[in-house]
Amino acid sequence: MLSPFVLLFIVWAVYPVLSSLRLSFMRYNAICDETLSPCGSVGFGNYTYLILQDSRFHKALLNTSLYVIGAVTLGLIASLSLSLALQADTRANRVLRVIFFLPSVTSGIAVVLVWGWVFRGDDIGLLNSLLNYFGIAPVEWLATPSLAIPILIFMSIWGGAGFGMVLFLAGLNAIPAMYYEAAVIDGANRRERFRYITLPLLKPVMVYVVITGTIGAFQIFEGVYLLFPTSVGSIGGLKDMALMIVPYLYDMGFNRFRLGYASAVAWILFAIIFTISLINIRVTKSLEDLR
Amino acid sequence: MNASRSEKRLERKNDELMERSGNFENPFETKGRFSKYARVPIYLLTVVMIAPYYWMITSSFKSVKELQKVPPTLFPEKWIPGNYWDPKYDPNMFQQDVLQGLFQRFTKVQFGFGRFFLNSFFITTTITILTLLIGSLAAYVVAKHRFKAKRAIYLVIIGSMMIPWQVGLIPGFLLVDDLGWLNTFWAYIIPALPKAFIVFFLVQYLSSIPDELIEAARIDGAREWTIYFRIVLPLLKPAMIAMMIFTAIGEWNNFLWPLIITQSQDMANLPVALALLKNSGAGNIGTQGVIMAAALLVSLPTIILYFLTQRHFIRGIALSGIK
Repeated sequence: MLSPFVLLFIVWAVYPVLSSLRLSFMRYNAICDETLSPCGSVGFGNYTYLILQDSRFHKALLNTSLYVIGAVTLGLIASLSLSLALQADTRANRVLRVIFFLPSVTSGIAVVLVWGWVFRGDDIGLLNSLLNYFGIAPVEWLATPSLAIPILIFMSIWGGAGFGMVLFLAGLNAIPAMYYEAAVIDGANRRERFRYITLPLLKPVMVYVVITGTIGAFQIFEGVYLLFPTSVGSIGGLKDMALMIVPYLYDMGFNRFRLGYASAVAWILFAIIFTISLINIRVTKSLEDLR
Repeated sequence: MNASRSEKRLERKNDELMERSGNFENPFETKGRFSKYARVPIYLLTVVMIAPYYWMITSSFKSVKELQKVPPTLFPEKWIPGNYWDPKYDPNMFQQDVLQGLFQRFTKVQFGFGRFFLNSFFITTTITILTLLIGSLAAYVVAKHRFKAKRAIYLVIIGSMMIPWQVGLIPGFLLVDDLGWLNTFWAYIIPALPKAFIVFFLVQYLSSIPDELIEAARIDGAREWTIYFRIVLPLLKPAMIAMMIFTAIGEWNNFLWPLIITQSQDMANLPVALALLKNSGAGNIGTQGVIMAAALLVSLPTIILYFLTQRHFIRGIALSGIK
């Protein structure tokens, strides 16, 4: 009874991971030719080149870091505030919760296509129409390097805040009402009740939201792929302004067919996510020990 | 007898949990000094949340002429179905103000745009059913059986959840290529079947259910498959429904893997077809109406599924998130 899952798991989960580790130490292109394009081991060559010399990859790392920091912190604030604002169980709040959650079940591609129209550079773009109404000149939203990351962060919060909100609501509802009663009797005001009861008791949920949010944010792909194409056969937008780790992996693997190199990118992604998750858990643990 | 009673107890417990999440009002936190205006930002944000959906719906019914207007009209002056299907469309001649509707495009593909719906529907239902079946079987064995390699196997399964799935992307592609599965349903379905999270979630859920039921059945001489179908599956129902919804929505919206394994249009799923449509229209405002029509049709099934299963959905998220 266990065997169907285990067999499939070995072939489609364990083997690809091990094989990708092997590939990441190889030069392995789509066509292996002894003279033109030989395949074979390069030791740590892929990694050292990625880390020390590949300036496109450095750009992708920088962009992704900025994006992750923005999307996770602002997303945390947004979803916590939403859950506090919509906590009371009124009819209106129930409707609002559904509305804020809708993007979590909507196709990412469909949503990105609408944003593509909103941020169009000409005067048919929706945001530019709005600016025009106030007499402001149109902006090339998707061709201005300093705006690429903020736009992607905005899209991520629009799409993800509702999911965090649901988690926080579940956390809020697990806090017994008597804690608040006791605090009121002791004379704690609203802010103190939030600071000393709500926040500490929500911490497990917060850790969960931050860790899953970080992992998800590092894997951003669709928005970059559709909104920031570069001429032909490349990805990342003007001057690679929106190039991120997974789009770079896709570019290397499936546009240029440098499969070994792309595998090394994937393992660096894993190393980053793994380290950050560990740090997150460590930090929350040590903060707990401080009390 | 026993089975149905404990099943009911479990359901009641779940309902109590549900009753509490969302229906609990904290008498000390609701009323603030600024309560009259405190809600204004929320309503403004709601407008931002709805706007993309509103825009999808309204612009899918606008004519090309109206789409080209600056500034854009907030409400269609005239509702036309042309972005979906224009009865006046004739592929052999160019006429003004006549659209090539969504279902009149992709002429080289059998059933046109409908083909992508069939693809997505087939892929999503097959994966959802099979992945839950093999996942729950594995979870039952791991949670309720004792054998030597159990801990090791379960550790590997859980450990794999820490590895981003992109790590296996390239070898997965090469494997599918070696098997000759590129551009087939096999490439969509088979690699998507072993989902570690489902096993993890169901094992967690099963371990909160006492072993006595299963042991009693075993002593009575019930076979393993009977135990699985008669006792374990009914007990797992709430968890299975939650996982079913998650899997279905995830597969319906899946993009990167389908993008890599499809080589001809007729094997695309809906998100890939959307991207194809976008690239074919390349910035031409006239095709935006068609693109919005497609985006709306792709989004609707998951939104409807969400509305139909809201209770299970929110419960599932709460269960998987809090533990």
